Amino acid sequence: MTAPHIELEDLRVTLGKREILRGLNLELRARTVGLLGPNGAGKSTLINTLLGFWKPTAGTARVMGYDIRTHARQIRALIGYMPENDCFIANMPAISFVRLGAELSGLPAEQALERAHEALFYVGLGEARYRKLGAFSLGMKQMAKLAQAIVHSPKVLILDEPTNGLDPQARTRMIKLIQEMRDLGTMHIVVCSHLLRDIEETCEEAVILKAGQIVHYSNLEAERASNRRFVEIETEGDDGTFADAIEMLGCVCSVTAGKIRTVLPEGIEIRDIYRLAADRDIQLRRLNYRRDSLEDIFLKAMDMKEAVSGRL
Amino acid sequence: MAVYKRTYKAYDGPLTSPVSRFLVLQRYAFKSVFKSKSLFLGYVLCFIPPLIVLCTLYLNQNASLLALVGQKTGFMKINGSFFMNVLGFQGVLAGLLTAFVAPTLVAPDLVNGALSLYLSRPFSRAEYILGKGSVIATLGGALTLLPGLLIFIVQSSLMGWNWMLNNFYLATATVLISAILLAVFTLLGLAMSALVRWKIVAGALILAVFAIGKGFAAMIDSIMRTTSGVYIDIQYLIQRVAGDLFQTQGPPEDIPVAAAWVALLAICGLLLYIVNRKLRVCEVAG
Repeated sequence: MTAPHIELEDLRVTLGKREILRGLNLELRARTVGLLGPNGAGKSTLINTLLGFWKPTAGTARVMGYDIRTHARQIRALIGYMPENDCFIANMPAISFVRLGAELSGLPAEQALERAHEALFYVGLGEARYRKLGAFSLGMKQMAKLAQAIVHSPKVLILDEPTNGLDPQARTRMIKLIQEMRDLGTMHIVVCSHLLRDIEETCEEAVILKAGQIVHYSNLEAERASNRRFVEIETEGDDGTFADAIEMLGCVCSVTAGKIRTVLPEGIEIRDIYRLAADRDIQLRRLNYRRDSLEDIFLKAMDMKEAVSGRL
Repeated sequence: MAVYKRTYKAYDGPLTSPVSRFLVLQRYAFKSVFKSKSLFLGYVLCFIPPLIVLCTLYLNQNASLLALVGQKTGFMKINGSFFMNVLGFQGVLAGLLTAFVAPTLVAPDLVNGALSLYLSRPFSRAEYILGKGSVIATLGGALTLLPGLLIFIVQSSLMGWNWMLNNFYLATATVLISAILLAVFTLLGLAMSALVRWKIVAGALILAVFAIGKGFAAMIDSIMRTTSGVYIDIQYLIQRVAGDLFQTQGPPEDIPVAAAWVALLAICGLLLYIVNRKLRVCEVAG
């Protein structure tokens, strides 16, 4: 089992008089982890705490084994951070912006310049690298922020709402870049977003926060796999007995609007359904594995929390 | 590796020392300050008065020139009062420079939310303040400390060891007063820029603090019938301390010199508090 890159240990953060993070306990090991939650759930506070911008009121967290209370500087040397909001250094060309970031992370000036060129080419801003950031479109600024976050080869990359404000084309490019970096395997990526599709497309694990607490932690791959046995069937030439026949195999069935929905138990395979249909001369017009989307998981997590807190 | 190849590879080369990392910020800040040609020209012009003073020092000791104008000794006295006036004039120039430069260093970073980009790296708030502040201090130091000491050295070389040893307090006073000026200008520049975040207004505010301080001091004195108003008059406080250090006639002695020192330290402390409060990545209400 790989060592966790982020560990939270009863982490509590209070801002003003309000407790924002309420005792988080978690170990993140996956290459890419999605941090989900509605607005105000505490996602950004958690990131800011990991970066050392906020001090925990109780508990602690560790990034790559370093404690945030005692080793903030070492942690920041290992992290690449792409903030959510529109932040850049005014009147600076993209190349200087990324180079400055690299130099502040400790790269010598020459290597920083070389890495800045590489990072900007990598995110697709090679041709625009001498243009000032102020003249960039929102999509280009997002890419420049990504370039400055990866220029120093961080071990943990934190992306806060990376697709915010991007048009579909730019979003696709951003998602592709995240997937590429994930597959390279040189860094752990934490994607903080409220866009479930982004998390679904890029992450292996998802943590759902609500009101400063973790309401769900799931391995998305495992969730997908566990839902593979949920089958939805549409038939032609069925006299209404096909569902009964499937139940005879030991499956639980329900029929709504001409669709048969069933969960295949252990030992029953799809080919058994095909065989049954062939025996009865029934055409299978459609057979889908229906899996829970991340949206279902997210909504369930939200409901669960509300039920627990008695607000439903 | 060729930069046009669209690939990503990890960096495993050497790293610079964390101790000198604030100098990176200083280097970038200098580059951005001197991008403005008019500011660069203005800065160069600020060195003309000390040059004139240095020439005057030479002429003041030139026997043939003095004989030409019928003078036996120099036509001006090089004493504490002379140094105080030179430093005072250069101090005004340094103040003006601060009003132009300081807001361009900090305000844009705050307006554009760039602090989180700096501070998410192995780079602390103290280093950020040091990096930005050192730009103001270096530019101001070249206008006050450097000419002051240069004048002292040139005068010593013209007058000999005895003069230098007898007047060493002038060098000490020059260093101390320059240090006060630079500390006040740097902290004031950073604090006002962080407070207002609007370049033009911040620049005006830096200049206004001197004028307003004097006005408020006079108002407090006339309403309360005291002389305690001077505690918020930065100009007066610096002059009071300078008068004592240069052993010359300063402003009216409304307060003891020690009190002026304490007041200046308190003002620096207050400015540092503002800088510390305002230069943060996240702000929380309540």
